[in-house]
Amino acid sequence: MKNFSIAYALILLFGVFISAVSQVMLKKSANKKYDSRIKEYLNPLVIFAYLIFFMATLLSIVAYKGIPLSMGPVLEATSYIYVTVFGVKIFKEKLGKKKIIALLLIITGIMIYSLCG
Amino acid sequence: MYQSILLLNIPQRTEKQTDFESRGFALKTVYEKIKLFILLHLMLMIYSFSGVCSKKAAGTTFLSKEFCLYYGMIIFLLGFYAIGWQQIIKKLPLTTAFSNKAVTIVWGLVWGLIFFQETITVGKIIGVIIVISGVVLYSYADGNEEPKL
Repeated sequence: MKNFSIAYALILLFGVFISAVSQVMLKKSANKKYDSRIKEYLNPLVIFAYLIFFMATLLSIVAYKGIPLSMGPVLEATSYIYVTVFGVKIFKEKLGKKKIIALLLIITGIMIYSLCG
Repeated sequence: MYQSILLLNIPQRTEKQTDFESRGFALKTVYEKIKLFILLHLMLMIYSFSGVCSKKAAGTTFLSKEFCLYYGMIIFLLGFYAIGWQQIIKKLPLTTAFSNKAVTIVWGLVWGLIFFQETITVGKIIGVIIVISGVVLYSYADGNEEPKL
């Protein structure tokens, strides 16, 4: 029934989480005004965001040592959860019923895939 | 493929048009949309290949020649995707683009089967269908925008 290691699945989930964090940093940077074009790309926020993104790619490689390939994109769907939480908390976006149902569907699908797959 | 994404341009409707011309235009627009849709899916299929490279890299020694080759491919595919996505969302509604992105989950199943002899079970298929419906619902949750394709 279970053909994956939970520890490796958690590594991938952590990787997805930190890439969501890097997205927030990029958006924060995009909302700021900069004096020059170069500063738009070469500022601490953007550089750190890409460093995190780079780490996330390495984490996914480590994770694939213990999980099947097909599980990767399924677990990556958790990014919608993080994006929603960040959107509401940091960028004060609205959270409608449809989004909540969508997130519950994503979580249910991941559980079914992982437990019954 | 790369070039065609960058160069693709949908003609804009002009003021003076005869019936015949506008019908021709509508046909052309539908044709362009189908083309864009195919391009989006080709791009997503190629992008989903980065997972194959990640899993291949997982089986190699860290920083070995093979590892670097696979890692280079991952970075190339991510870059290709970033540019392609930017071009696509200029011409397709974001909701359409995002909901179609869920197809990468299906590609994960297909590539897993082809390259790593992974099994596809009923449980996996049901889980994937539910996750995809969640992603599609999420994409359309914000506005009243109807799917354009």
